[in-house]
Amino acid sequence: MSGDTILNVAPIEIAQSRERRPVTAARETVFDIRNLSVSYGKTPAVKDVSFEIYRNMVTAIIGPSGCGKSTFIRTLNRMNDLVPSAKVEGDVLYHGQDLYASRVDPVQVRRKIGMVFQRPNPFPKSIFDNVAWGLRVLGMKDNLKDRVQHALEQAALWDDVRHRLKKSALGLSGGQQQRLCIARALAVEPEVLLMDEPASSLDPIATSRIEDLMHTLKRDYTIVIVTHNMQQAARVADLTAFFSLDVLPDGARTGLLVEYDATEKIFTQPSDKRTEDYVTGRFG
Amino acid sequence: MRITLQEDLDSINANLLEEGQLVLRALRGALNALREADAELADEVIAFDDEIDRRYISIEQGIEVLLARQTPVAVDLRLVLAMLHTNLHLERMADYCVTIAKLTKLVANVEPEPRMIQAFEEMGSRAEEMIRVALDAFVNRDLEEASSLVDLDELIDRANRRVVRQVLELGPDPARTEWGLRMIVVSRCLERIGDHAVDIGEQVAYLVTGEFREFTDASHPVERS
Repeated sequence: MSGDTILNVAPIEIAQSRERRPVTAARETVFDIRNLSVSYGKTPAVKDVSFEIYRNMVTAIIGPSGCGKSTFIRTLNRMNDLVPSAKVEGDVLYHGQDLYASRVDPVQVRRKIGMVFQRPNPFPKSIFDNVAWGLRVLGMKDNLKDRVQHALEQAALWDDVRHRLKKSALGLSGGQQQRLCIARALAVEPEVLLMDEPASSLDPIATSRIEDLMHTLKRDYTIVIVTHNMQQAARVADLTAFFSLDVLPDGARTGLLVEYDATEKIFTQPSDKRTEDYVTGRFG
Repeated sequence: MRITLQEDLDSINANLLEEGQLVLRALRGALNALREADAELADEVIAFDDEIDRRYISIEQGIEVLLARQTPVAVDLRLVLAMLHTNLHLERMADYCVTIAKLTKLVANVEPEPRMIQAFEEMGSRAEEMIRVALDAFVNRDLEEASSLVDLDELIDRANRRVVRQVLELGPDPARTEWGLRMIVVSRCLERIGDHAVDIGEQVAYLVTGEFREFTDASHPVERS
């Protein structure tokens, strides 16, 4: 019989697109958020939020203005401690440890869980000193130059600034300043990078660079990003949490978590009508 | 720039080319089974289609997610749309291979007519060549190569037109008549595989030029010498 070898092949393993990998694959929980509510005064800004954030993934928080996205992300490194009226209830477990336990030092928390803000906020110092600042404060002064270089490389900024490290950081473009802030956050060797609208003040090209950077950085870091740009979440995030607003009987508005799932699911087949309305632009 | 988009496009593209290789393998299997009246090999061809279907679905899903997440535009959008069509054309080709295999099984107990088998072998080789040319043109974004598919297709079409006469010449034996009638459908399958290769060529042209046009218009055919 001829031809019998033509089809006699090992079963083909379908090279599934990376995006289709089930998110149920082995993953390590970094944050376990349980029944978290945050209030400023009497009004809860976010109410009863529970979900887990996983290691080496980009998790996006999306939702309309006022849904508590920023309030939420700030609970992950205790930035809300700095707001006197903020009251945090429920649990934020970081590797199983209560982030809000009395013995926990918020400075150490922020070292492990760095943050980048909407507007680039470099110090009015040299590029080098911006990145070295946290290292000096934390006493990580050995190999200072190497550490600074490494952080700048990770932030894809080294080639742009290697010959002008002593120049003022304020002379950099907006996109470069934001990458400098990312380098500054990375220099102290955090595990998590929180990004609150990191590209909303940048032009499309600088935005694209930041997005590419997230894609690269997630190999080494866990990233949580708040964005009001849905397409940005779609592009960069592995998992997406959709927050929305609930109007309370007294007319006050409070943020709540509506749906949390693999990003591809959120953007192709969301389970909740409110998510569908938001991602299709019919609400918010 | 846009690392994720590029990686996703590359991944779907690679998957598509592998699907093309699977279709070539299915077609070769179908042709050999036909020639040898080999029902066992025909069964393998039929089973093998599941493999191609899985690939097809994986590509389709990859494209769905890419469209939802990466919102491609301009040349990226054209590439995604061309891949979507090409995926379907390849899957249809594989279905025709299954039909050939099923017909082979139906008449496996009849001695094949050598002259017609020879004709199918030639049509099949043409079809294989067309699939290769279509995939090559896709990879190389080669408009000229894509356009050449029209002429290759004409050769298959001519062979297909000869089949009815050859069947009529098979004589009065009912078993051979049945074999011949089945072979008309086989011929049609090979001819359709050629058409799908031309359609892939049209997708290449769309990808390169940004303008979709059919290479030939079946309802207004141009007379060929």
